[in-house]
Amino acid sequence: MSALGAASGGGEGINPTASIIGIVIIIAALAITAVMAAPALAAVIGVIIGGALIGFGVHFVPVGGAPAAMGQSPGIATGVAMLAAGAGLAGLFGGAWAAANPAFGIAIVIAAGAVGGGLMMAITCLMVNIVYIFGMGIPAASGKVAKDPITGDSQAEYKSQGTEGHGLPFVSYVGGVIGGLLGGAGGTLIYYELLQVYSAMLPAMFNASAEEILPIAVSLAGIFAVGMFLVNAVLAAYNITGTIEGPHDPKFKRFPRAVIGCAVASAVCGLFAVLIVVV
Amino acid sequence: MTVQITASTGGIPHDKLMAAGLVGSVICLYLTYLNSATGTEVFSFFGGLAAVFALVWGTSTIKHLCSYGIGTGVPSAGMIAFGSGVIAMLLATQFNSMYLTPIMAVVFGAIVGGACGFLANNVMRMNIPVMVRSLTEMAIIGAIVLLGLTAVMAGGFGFDALSVKTISIMGILSTTSFGASLLGGCLIAVSFMLGGIALQHPFNACLGPGEKQDRTLTLAAECGFLSMIVVAVISFAFVASFAAIISLVVAIAGWYYTFVKYIEYSKRDAYAWLDAKPILEPKGED
Repeated sequence: MSALGAASGGGEGINPTASIIGIVIIIAALAITAVMAAPALAAVIGVIIGGALIGFGVHFVPVGGAPAAMGQSPGIATGVAMLAAGAGLAGLFGGAWAAANPAFGIAIVIAAGAVGGGLMMAITCLMVNIVYIFGMGIPAASGKVAKDPITGDSQAEYKSQGTEGHGLPFVSYVGGVIGGLLGGAGGTLIYYELLQVYSAMLPAMFNASAEEILPIAVSLAGIFAVGMFLVNAVLAAYNITGTIEGPHDPKFKRFPRAVIGCAVASAVCGLFAVLIVVV
Repeated sequence: MTVQITASTGGIPHDKLMAAGLVGSVICLYLTYLNSATGTEVFSFFGGLAAVFALVWGTSTIKHLCSYGIGTGVPSAGMIAFGSGVIAMLLATQFNSMYLTPIMAVVFGAIVGGACGFLANNVMRMNIPVMVRSLTEMAIIGAIVLLGLTAVMAGGFGFDALSVKTISIMGILSTTSFGASLLGGCLIAVSFMLGGIALQHPFNACLGPGEKQDRTLTLAAECGFLSMIVVAVISFAFVASFAAIISLVVAIAGWYYTFVKYIEYSKRDAYAWLDAKPILEPKGED
């Protein structure tokens, strides 16, 4: 390992060649689905949209990592994967509860998932600020902007020397809630689309009634949704390369390539998830 | 995160570990087919050994990847491994009737992992030389570990067998239940997290100055056996008690051996340790 200690640059801008290859992969995945499992084509498109929503949503979440735990940078003191997984899984619970009720349509199911994810992030951000302010005794101050874009409060006076800011400023809080909403909605969309496919196709496979097969359909859709959520969240985290303050951070502008990347990853994963009922 | 991640060089080369891990785990997975060949379930424990082989290999891969400073913490690598691995593993269980499941898990894992690696390296512009290879390995490892833990729990890994459980009532009547099966109870989620923690913990715990390969890999094996203990306990619900006891004994014996070994290595590498003795003062420092 000759590259020990070498930091990844995380270059700026979109790589056009790789993006075009990615779009070709999406089209290929959709074509394979159309040939092998035509009824599931809409579901795969839903999975791709869900994955893109997750990739976009992760960029809103204020991730501080280890420096934030020491009060040296703003954000929630953990990694992107953990935070996004927390918000997404909380959203999945809300969405799965709504999906279990046949009276609710897709709009209510996704809204329930979004509210679940947003609520989880709102509570997390609130408790993080309580710990920062009353536990560690540090004010909330952004290091990336002079004024909070929403409230207009100035930040520099509250920022300690030698840090990149600390605590969770208002704009980061709002970003966290938006990220939770988007992530929860995306995760639930994946779950809901896969659940429709499995509850429609599994009864014929096992020669059983739809009610008997429901636990398998829910379990499969749930674990696939969790798996895809983690893949998308980690890919988006790789795009951010570590920490981000929220929607006002310059790194936020990198989101288009995360949307492309997560859509491609979701297309491949969605194809595999659908193939399980037709192979 | 700006925390400096340092890892040792030297030791067994990664390629050798990868070959041993891949071959060892696939052979162990194939040995679980002895269950259906002999009509018993006592060979389920080979699944756990496959998981341990794969976890040791995976820890070496994580060490390789994270020494480049990916910026998102070591656990994120474990999460993407199992997120992509579970998709490959579940699709592979459909090929059980042709005895292809372990091979297909490797193939599907390589496809999903390779796609993720390409996206991370080229679309996200991570520009890390080992990224594509590492994420490909990680997805394969995730799929193999999940297959192994599933084999311990259920005695095999056919999709149909995992979905349906035959319940006999009073020994005379029998009925099939989907809800009481391994997939219906979503025990795959339990093995997902057990494997994920076992994969992401060892290097995360051992990284830093003075990291030694044998200590890190011993911890990986220890974590694997620890997860195997839990799935062996769960297996009492699905396989014959005798087979479950064999899995449990193998898991506890393996855990005990690796744990003692790990403590031994930790003491070897530590400057000093409190063992009912006063800690020595550093000499020649001031």
